[in-house]
Amino acid sequence: MGVRERVDEIVAEFSDLDGREKLELLVDYANGLPPLSAAYEARKASEDRRVHECQTPVFLWTEVEQGRAHVVAEVAPEAPTVKGFVAIVAAAVNGQPATEAAAIPEDLLERLGLAEVLGILRARGLRSITARIKRGLAAAAGG
Amino acid sequence: MPEYAQPDVLVSTAWVAEHLSDPAVRIVESDEDRALYTQGHIPGAVEIDWAVDLQCQVVRDYIDRSAFERLCAERGISNDTTVVFYGDKNNWWACYAFWVFKLYGHKDCRIMNGGRKRWELDGRAWSSDRVSYPRATYTAQEQDGTIRALRDEVLKHCKAGKQLLDVRSPEEYRGERMHMPDYPNEGAVRGGHIPGALNVPWPMNCHEDGTFKTAKELEKLYVKELKMKRRSPTIAYCRIGERSSLTWFVLTYLLGFGNVKNYDGSWLEWGNAVRVPIAKGAEPGGMAATPATTAHA
Repeated sequence: MGVRERVDEIVAEFSDLDGREKLELLVDYANGLPPLSAAYEARKASEDRRVHECQTPVFLWTEVEQGRAHVVAEVAPEAPTVKGFVAIVAAAVNGQPATEAAAIPEDLLERLGLAEVLGILRARGLRSITARIKRGLAAAAGG
Repeated sequence: MPEYAQPDVLVSTAWVAEHLSDPAVRIVESDEDRALYTQGHIPGAVEIDWAVDLQCQVVRDYIDRSAFERLCAERGISNDTTVVFYGDKNNWWACYAFWVFKLYGHKDCRIMNGGRKRWELDGRAWSSDRVSYPRATYTAQEQDGTIRALRDEVLKHCKAGKQLLDVRSPEEYRGERMHMPDYPNEGAVRGGHIPGALNVPWPMNCHEDGTFKTAKELEKLYVKELKMKRRSPTIAYCRIGERSSLTWFVLTYLLGFGNVKNYDGSWLEWGNAVRVPIAKGAEPGGMAATPATTAHA
């Protein structure tokens, strides 16, 4: 299975849900984002990993290990929407060939039906996260 | 020690905890991040979202009167319900929802002082249960023009040199930044402020725990230091009218200013509008000092 199939799976998971259920599933993803390991916690202090476009503190690593994508993030608990969305993108790419990261659709938020649930202004901020992860993985993969 | 002008409009987390199953009270959460409500809200609280519930999706405006009536009815709010708003970010969106409720004439609106942060600090319980109430009947008033300013009125107000308050960050006010620190630019072409506006960033209204500053502290800031006059008409604005609804609340209910309007078009309209003047830098400036406008005046 590649990134495209993983995205399709997640989109299918969201597809039959009403607005409230979509938000609940988003919160499930947010709750499932693991806390930073001690190694990343240490790197957080020494590296500039803060995503400055984000309204809440978000720290993001987009790395490639033996050709496989490895996205690690920490998002402040007061921003479960951002946290959930980062967790979804991470779930779609982690462990997959990093070169496939380009397959994350630009309109992922719309496909998940979340753009409507969150409104235009919020959707804009989240879209920049997808772009940032794609860009980061492409750069790390040397492509 | 001076009291707030209308102290009953603020309720404590303890008051809310005592009224959780009071049928005359509806607790309403309004957040910047909607998923916070999903994750955990005050037991029995309903959600009203500023972007999805209160904004009209086809006109840049609020939902119309009949949509507002439907919204209240669906949330089990009738005309005589005491509606208590609370939320994240120092109750900023809660004040925005409060303002929209006042726009449609709802009588008894309150703010839970300190919002989510204070509820959490007080160690009170959250619930992720789904909440619904039997449908209520609601009749809204026509929009109350005495609390909302539209662009042409702001322009007149500005030309007349009346009290204007810009509640954005100093960087936004000076024109160095087009959006809040750490927030994406939502599309203003020019940076600066409305000529003559004073700058009081909205967080200055609140304490670290999210509660409002005392009447004495607020009075010192607005009346003693800035020399603002309670009886003079005042217009507050920010970027889209959200942060300024908090300042509108503070001036109106806590300090007893008699005539305050929120300009919800705010910088996202003003910074893009044709033939309206702006001022740059740390000084309020004024329209007389703006050559481009004297030419058109």
